[in-house]
Amino acid sequence: MAQSGDPPRLRQYVVVRAQLVGSGLVVGLLLGGLGMAGWTLYTGDARSSEATVFALGALVFGFGLLGWSGSILAGRGIEAMQEHMGTRSNWTERDSRRAMARLCGGGGGIMVGTSIVAALL
Amino acid sequence: MNWTQSLFRLVEPVVPPRFVIKRLLLLIPVLFGVASVVFAILHLAPGDPAIVIAGQRASAEQLEQIRVELGLRRPLWEQYLSFLWDAARFDFGQSYSISRGNSVRSVISDRVPITLELAIYGQAAGILLGLPLGIISAVKQDSLTDHVTRIGALTGISVPIFWSGPLLILLFSTYLDVFPTSGRIKSTLFLPETWTLFGRELPLTGMITLDTILLGNTEAFLSAAHHLFLPAVVIGVYSTALISRMMRSSMLEVIRQDYIRTARAKGQGAKITLMKHGFRNALIPVVTVIGIQFGTLLSGAVLTETVFGINGMGLTIVTAIGVSDYPVVQGTVLTFALLFTLVNVFVDVTYSYLDPRIQQ
Repeated sequence: MAQSGDPPRLRQYVVVRAQLVGSGLVVGLLLGGLGMAGWTLYTGDARSSEATVFALGALVFGFGLLGWSGSILAGRGIEAMQEHMGTRSNWTERDSRRAMARLCGGGGGIMVGTSIVAALL
Repeated sequence: MNWTQSLFRLVEPVVPPRFVIKRLLLLIPVLFGVASVVFAILHLAPGDPAIVIAGQRASAEQLEQIRVELGLRRPLWEQYLSFLWDAARFDFGQSYSISRGNSVRSVISDRVPITLELAIYGQAAGILLGLPLGIISAVKQDSLTDHVTRIGALTGISVPIFWSGPLLILLFSTYLDVFPTSGRIKSTLFLPETWTLFGRELPLTGMITLDTILLGNTEAFLSAAHHLFLPAVVIGVYSTALISRMMRSSMLEVIRQDYIRTARAKGQGAKITLMKHGFRNALIPVVTVIGIQFGTLLSGAVLTETVFGINGMGLTIVTAIGVSDYPVVQGTVLTFALLFTLVNVFVDVTYSYLDPRIQQ
């Protein structure tokens, strides 16, 4: 039963998801920024470095998004199939969805980090 | 039952709208994800669009001017957002090379019907052959018919299109001269661009067999069907094999159920029991395979169209990648993704109709 001191369900819902995506975003920001700076130092060409690191970020973001929606679309079915077949895998739709959300955040972070460092260089 | 109750029963949705809306809404992140991956891959791939447009002999100034015009000198995040916005409006600009000067949208709208027609015929061949073969194989389990069907199905699954296509061309076109090697219709036949319905001029669909029927041109229809037969067989072999295998195993599971035994014990005929109680229940997993298979047929069209020289989406994407026509590559990949996801939504809805428990 909900207590009066409990946070509202919507807020809790948003906070959990923001933490998931946010943690990925922070890691992505660092990776993107460092990757952009390091690649530029290595190649000496900021424009091509931006294109490469940003595109890699978009790739991670895109696959994360596909995996996230795929988990929602087919995850329960895969869980039911595993249960039906009696396999002892610990894979769950919830875990997959969360991992993919974090990956999305990471990809987005890389794109943002790259753009910030590219603007500064 | 009065007429209002009858009307309500008639319009009562077989699948809850909420289920369908949720599935349709999930299309948005899928397409957004595909668009991001396409953007990333094209930016990571070697090649310069400016050189594709201007040619190898263009000066550095000309190339730079083209890059500025194409927006390639803008920051990447700006290019990415602009690409997503264009993708959302299905506007990929103009083709650089394979249909220079024409919009990608028009290139795609010309070629989608060709690929869809091929996939539909391949799927029809797969369903019409695969379902009866699977049922017969299950009913006559461990008989000679079953063994032959299973070996045939295994062969069909194992043989890739890029091998079976040229072999069938070699046998039926080169040696036996029964079917044409390529094309969609005899080169001496020309179809008009419109057809007339009640005095109104309407555009043709682009699906050649349907168009020839609409035009009432029997000779052209026979020629189109003749040209389409071999590609449809090639693309449908894998589908037939997979559907028959799936139908066999599903049917075997169903005919051993208690309710089938009960129906038989109550005196119902074997064929009626099989078709009335067995078929619909055995069909549930097969529908999923059929749906997913339709998506695979679309990707199989890439190989089939290349082998048979059919100018559909498959050949277009291969040619566009070869000549670095990026707008066409982006447009065709997203169209394939859209078709694939729409087919999957349709499969989900059909599946939930056949087995309402899936909606929970």
